[in-house]
Amino acid sequence: MFGLNKLIPIDSDYRFLNYRKKFYIVSSIAIFLSLSLLFFKGLNLGIDFKGGTLIEVSTKNTDIAELRDILSPNFNEVSLQEFGDENTIIIRLQNENNQESIETVNKVKQLINDKVEEFRRSEFVGPTISSELLWKGFQAVSFALLAILIYIWLRFEWQFGFGAVVALTHDVFFTLGLLSLLNIEFSLSTIAAVLTIAGYSINDTVVIFDRVRENLRKYKKLELLDLFNMSINNTLSRTVMTSITTLLALLSLYLFGGEVIKPFALTMIIGVLIGTYSSVFIAVPTLLVFKFRPQDEDEN
Amino acid sequence: MKNYPLWKIFIVFVLLSLGIIFAIPSLLYKEDTGSWYLDNRLNLGLDLQGGSYLLLEVQTDVLIEEEFENFSDTIRIIAREKRVKINNIEKIDGSLKVRFEDSDKINDIRKEFLQNYRSVKFNITNNIVSITIDELYKKTIQDSAIKQSLEIVRKRIDETGTKEPLIQRSGRDRILLQLPGVKDPERIKDLLGKTAKLNFHMVDDDDTKSLSLNIAPFGRMIVSDIDNEEIKYLLEKKSRVGGENLIDANASFDPTEGHAVSFRFDTTGAQKFGKATSENIGKRFAVVLDNVVITAPVINSAITGGSGIITGNFTSQEATDLAVLLRAGALPAPLEIVEERSVGPGLGADSIAAGQIASIIGMILVCFFMILIYGSFGFIANISLIANLFIIIALLGTIGATLTLPGIAGIVLTIGMAVDANVLIFERIKEENTKNKNIYETIKKGFDKALSTILDANITTLIASLLLFVFGSGPIKGFSITLSLGVIASMFTALMLTNLLVHIYISFNSKKEINL
Repeated sequence: MFGLNKLIPIDSDYRFLNYRKKFYIVSSIAIFLSLSLLFFKGLNLGIDFKGGTLIEVSTKNTDIAELRDILSPNFNEVSLQEFGDENTIIIRLQNENNQESIETVNKVKQLINDKVEEFRRSEFVGPTISSELLWKGFQAVSFALLAILIYIWLRFEWQFGFGAVVALTHDVFFTLGLLSLLNIEFSLSTIAAVLTIAGYSINDTVVIFDRVRENLRKYKKLELLDLFNMSINNTLSRTVMTSITTLLALLSLYLFGGEVIKPFALTMIIGVLIGTYSSVFIAVPTLLVFKFRPQDEDEN
Repeated sequence: MKNYPLWKIFIVFVLLSLGIIFAIPSLLYKEDTGSWYLDNRLNLGLDLQGGSYLLLEVQTDVLIEEEFENFSDTIRIIAREKRVKINNIEKIDGSLKVRFEDSDKINDIRKEFLQNYRSVKFNITNNIVSITIDELYKKTIQDSAIKQSLEIVRKRIDETGTKEPLIQRSGRDRILLQLPGVKDPERIKDLLGKTAKLNFHMVDDDDTKSLSLNIAPFGRMIVSDIDNEEIKYLLEKKSRVGGENLIDANASFDPTEGHAVSFRFDTTGAQKFGKATSENIGKRFAVVLDNVVITAPVINSAITGGSGIITGNFTSQEATDLAVLLRAGALPAPLEIVEERSVGPGLGADSIAAGQIASIIGMILVCFFMILIYGSFGFIANISLIANLFIIIALLGTIGATLTLPGIAGIVLTIGMAVDANVLIFERIKEENTKNKNIYETIKKGFDKALSTILDANITTLIASLLLFVFGSGPIKGFSITLSLGVIASMFTALMLTNLLVHIYISFNSKKEINL
């Protein structure tokens, strides 16, 4: 209709794999930096994983400094932060134990009651729960990676599984590194985002692998490098299209979905970009490590 | 179109109609109407409608400690009867060690002790006895405590008038509460935070020496006053009558003492209380709630009617709450709140509004982009996408799923990802279009070749989403449900609906060519 479908021609022939060394170097540096960030700076753990109390209030034109002046003298560890607009403020407190939390919330409510329009939200996560949640999140991500590996292994050759998991691990660490760098809060919904990214990235990778497998059967004489390049180009317009539609939806979520969902949307946007990159520039080149021609799985 | 299998058209038609029919209640109605069809709606999660989620931990360790206290009391009593001297008694690492002066009657003591506590381990080495309990014994104590706690928590929540609370056991020693629409979670937390163990003990005002030394002799205990910790009372350890004998309690007002709680005993309670008061006229008795003395009045006359009032420096709310607690009964063990998530109605409404806007704008962006790139085929994909949304909402409504904020995020994400299957098909058709002359063959090949890719790609997404469901908590489960349903629905709409629409489009396309 608009002719824009020819944006990426069917017979595109970008030689992606010829530059693979550069991408390896770029990714290695990125992963190294990510790991260093995670190790030295760490993630900005939210109360889900750190434990503590969070109270969101909308104020009656009271500014954050005023509230801080009221609360600071009364609590050891209290931090205030504007949330979206200047009248919405998030108060974070650390508690030593579970019992204290009720008293803490009560005390906060008493102290600032006349300055507050509405108590919009209060959350408390005790120390036992936060460590359980962290452990569960870790389990979820590990099992997801494992299950995906097994699925790819069953559906493809094991080399493909290896490539997929290298790419996935790359995505997870790279994303976590950026979360640390950008100081995005790491919460339960961020874990959900990371898992969804894993699902998305593998989805992308599988589509290309699928084509690699098909082409391996079709063009038995072709150089592997050329064959992989061809496979990427065959699926390139799909890769780009799906990334764009997903990013459009996520962008809308980021801009209009409200403050609570913002870290999730931002994490997903980062992850989709990284996942798309890794499918093309990491997952497929990894296959070159194996000098393989899979035996025909079936007679067709 | 002539050769298009009828059964496929039929299936698409039926599933689409069902999708639309069952999406309508969720889209149009907000309140229950009483009709089974219209009430097949999406439930809103606590984060969207406002309310409190609480996770409580039953402190069963306290019960185990209490059990050892009982052991220790029992063994003292038996030893006293048998005239055996106990040199030392202490609890070390989960066992009670009792050292007797000599080992003569130790087997008799063992026999008698085990009559009281059958499944306890009672080991003797010379004149030292060590009493331990096994895991099963502990588990029995814990299980019964949690069952009782559930019951009491339910009663207390009912008293607050919360509509449709969800109260269930979670794991080994936890209780999970979902309280929709609760406006004052602090009051609920206060109510749940109290054990509400009420007992009436006699006050020992004669033994002033023990009280001043702050050491309670055997059979006595020292308890502080509720208002002033400095004020101590020496009480008989054994209570004369307890809260378990109460049948009613109400907030009342006493002209001289202010807000109070009036109570009534059952027959047994009335007898016990009558006996205790008639024997001790002129002495004091103490009303002990959760190990503090609320009040300790002097007994002026025997109280045989079985009812009375408790006074103290109560506010109206405190008196009401105490009455609620006494009516519901005492918890067997203290409860600790280990997790709380409360959302006010304002934030919930804002989240719904924001979610709707994000969905609609995301939808418009994606649809516009699809038409921009694929023209008429993009239009077909958009119809599939809308059908997809109807099916997701219909499925969520009929399985009674709960829509949470992450769930809305899942729907928005699905909008972006659901077109993927269509894109895969269109790209294949585009490729095949250069090779084949026959338009129908091109389309058939396009769909066939895309099929395995679509399956592989979507199954991996489903795996990740399934694990989120298994390991995720509350709201996150909502996300994984919408995402999974979205992926499944998108496979159906792409493979069946898009297929049908593409064929219809071609049969009306006079030039019989594919413009992709």
